[in-house]
Amino acid sequence: MPNTEMKTPDTLRPGERLFALLLVLFAGYAFWESYRISGLDGLTTGGVLPMLASAVMLVTGLVILSETLRKPRADDSGISGLVAYLLPLRVVLFTALVAVYVAVIPVLGFLPASGGLLFIAIWALWRKGPLRSMAISLLSVGVIYLLFRVVFQVVLPMGSLWQ
Amino acid sequence: MIETLGYFATSWLDPSLLVLTALGTFAGIYIGAIPGLSVTMAASILISFTFKWDVNEALALIGGVYVGGVYGGARTAILLNIPGAPSAIATAIDGYPLARKGLAGEAIGLSTVMSVIGGLIGVLALAVAAPLIADFAIKFTSRDYMLLGIIGILLVGTLSGESFAKGAFAGALGVMIGMVGLDPMTAETRFTYGSINLMGGIPFVVAMIGFFGVAEALAQLEHISTAPIKQKVSRIVPAWSDVRRYLVLGLKSSGLGTLIGALPGTGGDIAALLAYDHAKRSTKNPEVPFGEGAKEGLIAPETANNAAVGGAFVPMLTLGIPGDAVTAIIIGALYIHGLKPGPLLLTDTPHLFWFIVGNLTLANLFLLVFGLTGIRIFTKVVECPRAILIPLIIILSAVGAYAIQNNPVHITWALAFGVIGYVLKRYGFQVGPIILGVILGPMIDANYRRAMIGAREDIGSFLFDLISHPISFLLTSALVFMFVTQIPFVKRRIRRA
Repeated sequence: MPNTEMKTPDTLRPGERLFALLLVLFAGYAFWESYRISGLDGLTTGGVLPMLASAVMLVTGLVILSETLRKPRADDSGISGLVAYLLPLRVVLFTALVAVYVAVIPVLGFLPASGGLLFIAIWALWRKGPLRSMAISLLSVGVIYLLFRVVFQVVLPMGSLWQ
Repeated sequence: MIETLGYFATSWLDPSLLVLTALGTFAGIYIGAIPGLSVTMAASILISFTFKWDVNEALALIGGVYVGGVYGGARTAILLNIPGAPSAIATAIDGYPLARKGLAGEAIGLSTVMSVIGGLIGVLALAVAAPLIADFAIKFTSRDYMLLGIIGILLVGTLSGESFAKGAFAGALGVMIGMVGLDPMTAETRFTYGSINLMGGIPFVVAMIGFFGVAEALAQLEHISTAPIKQKVSRIVPAWSDVRRYLVLGLKSSGLGTLIGALPGTGGDIAALLAYDHAKRSTKNPEVPFGEGAKEGLIAPETANNAAVGGAFVPMLTLGIPGDAVTAIIIGALYIHGLKPGPLLLTDTPHLFWFIVGNLTLANLFLLVFGLTGIRIFTKVVECPRAILIPLIIILSAVGAYAIQNNPVHITWALAFGVIGYVLKRYGFQVGPIILGVILGPMIDANYRRAMIGAREDIGSFLFDLISHPISFLLTSALVFMFVTQIPFVKRRIRRA
């Protein structure tokens, strides 16, 4: 029977306790930064809502941390568990590729950079050979250009080498 | 009356709006159906391309995508046992067993007709209920809007997530992101760290693209090698006797779906699950047991999730509080076009309200046409490998983030939000409340300050106002109830009861 109640897993995810602790620290920092906006000068200053929101983050962060403390400790609860769970190699490499893509857009321009990203990513993830990956990448870039530049008339990011 | 009919028929009579609605519905079916793509993702990217368009054109396209997308998820749920959208999770329970029995075409046909019936009932409810609620909502004051905003964020967080604390944390994080930039009242800088780019604030479309598009793409990397199981599709158009037989259940589920959809923070997925549950409890002697291909188990969630679309528009258009993630994005589209969703929207711009009603009706009719045709091409398209889809989502997200202000920095921000969203999702946080926080944060801020100024900056008077006025009292009570029911002792008592 479907159940729409909130479900919390009975066991900790790898590194979950450490992650909860990091959230609390982040919320504390956010509260401090919010306080620095206008201090306690009044009840209608620009810093009041950020302080309230970060206080909610801090309190709920502590609740989340306490929830993780009630569950049995996982074998891989430390930094190594957190890194292994959050950052599988495929995600790390793909994110790095996307970061490189974002960095090269201002140099190469949107279309060549996108073509490059598509080719490398499809080749690596699909594993059907470079020719098919190249063909799909070129076709996709062509469709994107036609759809966005020609039909929607969206300005695409230009590069210093290729405009 | 004739004027209203004219507004209603705008998208029916204007060829470009007609085509955009058809295109949106058609694309929505595929977007909803292809695992890895979602309506929220598509709508958030679409906003960045359509913000320079006429508001009717933008809404026609996005509305069509919404209606088509909610339905589209059912097709892959039936054919591949992979719900294309969360609202189709319940559909797969009985839809896939039907397909395995060689009844995939019949199941798709029945779900299409019932989805359209549900969708039309939802739109009818919107047309009837919204003006009544808007008349009432005119009495709302600043403090009521502040309370509504907080309730909206918390509801999304609590109903869709793993725990209340995680939902509230995500909502508060969204509010913080929405506060970045210059304070509109005092021009004080908030979280700008000397950056000129941050002084203008973070456009919520960029946050949406990051949290819904990029984060989802990263999360999909895990399932990259999942191969779908194909099914043969036979006759699609359902038998009239079947439609007539299940009509009462369809109508009941539509009513339930509309009501659930109208509650801020719920949406089609919860509506579908509750309708499935209701059908299972209320059907005394199903031909086939539930879970093994009961048609009731297919019809109930499908009518409910489509009815929830009309329902979700009710709080969005009347109170300015989105019913679900997609209406949160549509509210953003309205803001971008200089419109302010809320009770005055219906009195100041009735043409827009009746346009939306007419357009959603039209989209449902297109759904009937597209739902009962083109199934052969469809089965080929939905088999598109994730290895191709994921890089494409990243490219589309980059164009979307850039297009909103032609600022390349926004692509970097979208990527950063995507990584944050991915990390949070891994630990059971929902990104919906974050987006609602980003959108509603500035509204809550402005209304809180107005209410506090009205109370002469006296905290006692402010708190007294929250309980001494009937509407404020009702909303404060709802908020207190939400918190009280999360206390472990109370939760245990509720469970026992």
